[in-house]
Amino acid sequence: MSYRIIVWVLALILLVPIAVFLIYAFAQGWFFPALWPERWDSGLFLRQLADPQLRRAFGQSLIIATGVSILALVLGYPAARVLELQTFRGRGLIYGLFFLPTVVPSVATGIGLNIVFLRLGLAGTLFGVMLVHLIPVLPYVVLTLGSSFARYDRNYEQQAAVLGASPWFVFWRVSVPMLLPSLVVAGVLAFLISWSQYVLSLLIGGGKIITLPMLLFAAASGGNQSLIASLSLIFIAPLLILLGLVARYLGSPATGATPRP
Amino acid sequence: MQTRKRIWNLAVMLGLVSLIIASCGSNAATPTSTPSSTSLDINNWAGIEQAANGQTVNWYIWGGSDSINRFVDQFYGKALKERYNITLNRVPMADTVDVVNQLLSEKAAGKTTGAVDLIWINGENFASLKQANLLRADWGQSLPNSKYVNWANPAVNLDFGEPVESLESPWSSAQFQFIYDSAKLQASELPRSYAALKEYACANPGKVTYIAPGPGAFQGTRFVKQALFEVSGGAEQWLGKFNQQLWDQWSPKLWEYFNQLEGCLWREGSTYPKTENELHSLFANGEVDFSITQAIAGAGSLIKDNLVPVSARAFVFDDNMIGDFNYVAIPSTAPNPAAALVLANLILDPELQAAQILPENGFGLGYGIDPTKVSDPALAAKLSNAAQQLGDAATPASDLAKSLRSDIAAEYQSLIEQGWEANVLRK
Repeated sequence: MSYRIIVWVLALILLVPIAVFLIYAFAQGWFFPALWPERWDSGLFLRQLADPQLRRAFGQSLIIATGVSILALVLGYPAARVLELQTFRGRGLIYGLFFLPTVVPSVATGIGLNIVFLRLGLAGTLFGVMLVHLIPVLPYVVLTLGSSFARYDRNYEQQAAVLGASPWFVFWRVSVPMLLPSLVVAGVLAFLISWSQYVLSLLIGGGKIITLPMLLFAAASGGNQSLIASLSLIFIAPLLILLGLVARYLGSPATGATPRP
Repeated sequence: MQTRKRIWNLAVMLGLVSLIIASCGSNAATPTSTPSSTSLDINNWAGIEQAANGQTVNWYIWGGSDSINRFVDQFYGKALKERYNITLNRVPMADTVDVVNQLLSEKAAGKTTGAVDLIWINGENFASLKQANLLRADWGQSLPNSKYVNWANPAVNLDFGEPVESLESPWSSAQFQFIYDSAKLQASELPRSYAALKEYACANPGKVTYIAPGPGAFQGTRFVKQALFEVSGGAEQWLGKFNQQLWDQWSPKLWEYFNQLEGCLWREGSTYPKTENELHSLFANGEVDFSITQAIAGAGSLIKDNLVPVSARAFVFDDNMIGDFNYVAIPSTAPNPAAALVLANLILDPELQAAQILPENGFGLGYGIDPTKVSDPALAAKLSNAAQQLGDAATPASDLAKSLRSDIAAEYQSLIEQGWEANVLRK
């Protein structure tokens, strides 16, 4: 019973902001002490949806976040595997280095990196922005995968190898299926973190790459609540869809939904 | 076996790292490309238009207003494409200082061709870029349409006291105004001086506030500066070079005024709105009676954006309302300087100037040009017609003209900001 109440309270906490965005996006001229907005109008919201700049920014955000998720898994998988399954000197130090970006403000790294990226010709490119997103993304991917590797039984891999499976076959048919839930969670986390990056995208993108958060921050600086709410709705929609798609991997065994590959 | 593999891995890693370091070094030493700007001759305008044909102009511009964004796309974007075959890429920024940082980074990286073609700019951001020597020089007064600009006006040739020196070209003008709600107050009840504002505030406690002065909140600084003009008996003495003695003489009086005012303010002056939009929101929700705007259209554009009630109107005091200009500038590293020049010139086109002041077009700031310098009768008529169509929500032109004062030396800016924080906010 009390468990249910907690679920409802959590659901409410998650849904109320979305409801507020919906109201602000469509209510026009709503000032205290009026109980009800002067009028409801979807014009501003629809205009944002049709705006070519917004569509381009949406597409670029999508490409960047997807690319970052893939890159982060490709880089994070071997890192987490070695860090958790092998013992070697300096392991703690390397773990520490991986987590450094979570405590160093991204403005500090961003400004320095912008100069390096400008010299390398990576600034203002999609690939450059993807690379710089890896800085805040990788710690979470390594942590998520690392916690799975900590409980990982390598005997299954050895078993398959003994039975004649090639390393590639072992990777695809044994390791990946066993780790699939945490690979999905790590990939989604990478997508979410990349999707909401502002400072690093702004610095490395240099205005050549415009992402959705940049439009959102620009709108927020103007204080027009209908505009901010409209963009916020467009910003969170793909995240909600993504979470819905992978929900079955996110459930913990306590809810009875044992993740199955 | 195992150790040999490890040594091999280490070697590969070291190789990669040194490769990256090497490429950093070599790229820094050799400029990546030669600037195309050197070949442009500002006096050969046909040549510039020809060079701009087919270019994309990257205009970095504050992007917080949906209606300004649309005005830029519809009026400049279309005209650029149709008249000159130039594509407008409007890059929305949350704060213009981000562009300044971008240009400084490009300079540090040794880039000669950057990403920015044109910036909407004034005040401290202009001063920073001018000081860092990052702006294209010698073009502002050579644009064909700059004949419409009154370069003799100190409000035009000085940007927050900093000489413009042909490094910028004006876009529009602004003047400090207040906004009230005509559904709640009669025009005859409005305060028309700082002394009257204090009386009003203390007769209606908590119904008045202003924007906290500080970097990025020039409206608040301007509000205090105008009070300085009034308590010292007039604005004229403050013109010209910075005068420390004059400041020392009158600043105690200024802080005395604001400390007397503070107790009657919204939340008794324990906190102040930080931006114009915060103040608009307090005003729109009836918490305070007055807001502040700089737009020639007064409350018109704000009504159109649903930021304030439709009954909002603009007004000014009888004197000491500071007006100034804002500009566009071209970085010296602009990748498409010809297109940037064409756009800066297009902005001064009398027809587009007439369009920019009308509240329904969504921009709402005043003329960058001087309408009396437009000799073509049809264009001159357009400009005067537009000025007469500002509607009820704008301050009458005669009130604006009567109270207009120009801004003063930049040194006062930081003295006011620091002094206000020390003597008013922290007291």
